[in-house]
Amino acid sequence: MAGLELLSDQGYRLDGRKATELRKVQARMGVFAQADGSAYMEQGNTKALAVVYGPHEVRGSRSKSLHDRAVINCQYSMATFSTAERKRRPHGDRKSSEMSLHLKQTFEAAVLTQLYPRSQIDIYVKILQSDGGNYSACVNAATLALVDAGIPMRDYVCACTAGFVEDTPLADLCHAEESGGGTTLSLALLPRSENIALVQMDARLHQDHLPALMEAAMEACKGLSKVLDSVVRQHLQEVSVQTRE
Amino acid sequence: MELDINSPVLREFGSEQSLLSKPDGSATFMQGDTSVMVGVYGPAEVKVNKEIYDRATLEVLIQPKSGMPSVRERTREQCVRETCEAALLSTLHPRSSLTLVLQVVHDDGSLLACCLNAACMVLMDAGLPMSRLFCGVTCAIDAEGQIITDPTAQQEKESRALLTFAIDSKEHNVMMSSTKGSFSMKEMQQCIAVSQKASERIFQFYRDSVKRRYSKIL
Amino acid sequence: MRETPLSNCERDFLLKGIQEKKRLDGRQTYDYRNIKISFGTDYGCCTVTLGKTRVLAQVSCELVPPKDSRPTEGIMFFNLELSPMASPGFQSNRQSELLVTLNRQLERCLRNSRCIDTESLCVISGEKVWQIRVDVHVLNHDGNLMDAASVAAISALCHFKRPEVAIQGRDVTVFSPEERDPVPLSVYHMPICVSFAFFQQGSYLLVDPCEKEELVMDGLLVLAMNKHREICSIQSSGGIMLLKDQVLRCSKIASVKVSEITELITKALENDRRARKEGGKFGFAESIAKERITVLTREEAPLDTTDIQATADGIISKADAPPEVVPSPVIVATGTGQVGEGLENTWGLEEDDEEEEMADVTERKTKEDEVMVLSDSEEEEVVILNQDGRSKRSQR
Repeated sequence: MAGLELLSDQGYRLDGRKATELRKVQARMGVFAQADGSAYMEQGNTKALAVVYGPHEVRGSRSKSLHDRAVINCQYSMATFSTAERKRRPHGDRKSSEMSLHLKQTFEAAVLTQLYPRSQIDIYVKILQSDGGNYSACVNAATLALVDAGIPMRDYVCACTAGFVEDTPLADLCHAEESGGGTTLSLALLPRSENIALVQMDARLHQDHLPALMEAAMEACKGLSKVLDSVVRQHLQEVSVQTRE
Repeated sequence: MELDINSPVLREFGSEQSLLSKPDGSATFMQGDTSVMVGVYGPAEVKVNKEIYDRATLEVLIQPKSGMPSVRERTREQCVRETCEAALLSTLHPRSSLTLVLQVVHDDGSLLACCLNAACMVLMDAGLPMSRLFCGVTCAIDAEGQIITDPTAQQEKESRALLTFAIDSKEHNVMMSSTKGSFSMKEMQQCIAVSQKASERIFQFYRDSVKRRYSKIL
Repeated sequence: MRETPLSNCERDFLLKGIQEKKRLDGRQTYDYRNIKISFGTDYGCCTVTLGKTRVLAQVSCELVPPKDSRPTEGIMFFNLELSPMASPGFQSNRQSELLVTLNRQLERCLRNSRCIDTESLCVISGEKVWQIRVDVHVLNHDGNLMDAASVAAISALCHFKRPEVAIQGRDVTVFSPEERDPVPLSVYHMPICVSFAFFQQGSYLLVDPCEKEELVMDGLLVLAMNKHREICSIQSSGGIMLLKDQVLRCSKIASVKVSEITELITKALENDRRARKEGGKFGFAESIAKERITVLTREEAPLDTTDIQATADGIISKADAPPEVVPSPVIVATGTGQVGEGLENTWGLEEDDEEEEMADVTERKTKEDEVMVLSDSEEEEVVILNQDGRSKRSQR
């Protein structure tokens, strides 16, 4: 899209943010009563809803159960009204299957599955409004939902996107910046140990720019983890106030 | 109608066996530019709904190079499967499955015959017990009434009729025939006779390739 | 059919060997297996052999209407298939995780990196564009399908030539290869995937894992790069925990490997081009090693057809005479015809009913205005309910 400057001369992006600024994050836990854990997450205009059921007995074929750990089952779908044009196929197409697979692998690494052998944990994520950073919003929402469900994890899993424009890394891309043709790097991080659970990048980027890009993404994830932490603590306070006599 | 049958030729052909490491038997057969690669698994475990109590279940899959498999591939699979079932001693492996997978690498005419030849080579490579060997020969009758054996795709397009026969090695009988176009009874009998002659060449090739294969051991 | 599972002692053996920096086939940690690229007779057909892994790619094209969101760009379509030949665990028509992963990775590596100029594939903007379809078939699975598939796909795309078109107003004429020489695609760069397998929670890594190593690995990192040291795609899978400098180190190793592989591809393309220009033989038939004992070839030779005529005549004269000619159809009434006598039906119905039915059939056909009588059965009763509650009974 020629003419649309992703980064102006003064260093401001399309929505007025600076290069390393994140979008406004709002999150709520315990949104659904009947699910074991649920969370609703807004990152700028991207809205994601995550619901967790489990750990429970393995449904369906018994052969899927593992004798020493829990099986994590993820399903990612987008609402038909989430994008500018109506989504013809919300789930079952290749992109959604790939996303579901990545989510599953991310959380298999982060959740302490050895504590629940022969069980299954279901994570369902739905994108209600898509404005860039779909995968990151899903991961963050799912982390909160898992904390809400009380499933033990190694650390918060925080995810964020980063892009590269004119030698400056941008953190937390919106849809216009993602589809502008530049690079998009999605990173899922466990902040305390700085372990990367998943890294995914599309579009061309020169090798020398990779360290700067990854560093920007990791910083953004760490910032996000602070926000998630404060949300969890606040939710805990609210809940304990309610249960206190 | 008398047909003019001077000098039909068989294009140059060649084959390689045991070229894939995973299947129990594998082979590729090339006739001119037409090339087919095939792999066989078996005798192996069979799904309960497909098992037959006294013989092996044979499954044939033909995969085209581009696009999804269509009805054309299904008819070819049927032809190959029936020929193989007539030749294999499937009663020696009851409640097992034999899976034959053919991949079309290049199609330049006589594809069904090439598939049949490749199938026979792969069954030999896997060491599956057979009561007879078989081979496939395609004849085309062109507009002037000449018989062309092993036609190329161009010759097939310009022909009036296309006949493919599977010939067995013991009595040189016709095991399977698949024809397209119109032709008289006499023309068909002449084509069968030509195919039987051509099959002798191919069976000699089978013998030579097996002899060469085990030349270091024997 | 199912894949043979890996036994515990094999697993322990492999892991211990990796800890001591030893691989099953004697390679070093960063070594690739032998890559062999060969092209077929028609443009766009390529086979890649990576050690024992074998992959076949074919590129084809057709004219289609473009996507609404991009009316001036051609369409690239990728389809990777795991042939049941490649492994006993692969079954056709089954959407397995591996299939989805490989397909998506191939799409991202080749489509999102814009290696092909899609603007040049436009014929009439908004109406007709070229759709380039790349079909990749996996023929033998011995590990590292992703790398082999990406090399095969990009080699086939570089080898492919599409038909020439002429546009006159709204008419498009597509020339066949005999009329005008086909045109190659414009390839900007060649992205190639390099796979890294991680073991023991990321402490050991191997390049180009073979099948047994893939079964014991913890996770996989796939980097797609081109020879200009640009990263086209990164994808980590398997839930391994990586550190930032591990990813950076892998990208450095990958750039070295990619430049080697790109050289191989350009050399193979050059050889093929030279063979075609000089009129020499090209295609798969030429690339098989004739000196192996598992290979045998025969030259083109005529058949001996001296007694074909006699044999054929002999068979026909001994055959039975063909059956008599079938009598021509008898017209019973307008609209019906009868061929043959027909058999007696054994249901024991009276003959009158049969004739009635026949008459009904003819009547039905001639009187088209009348109401269709669907069945002569008197057992069905249809009850029609009116809105004011009265019910009408009628015989159907």
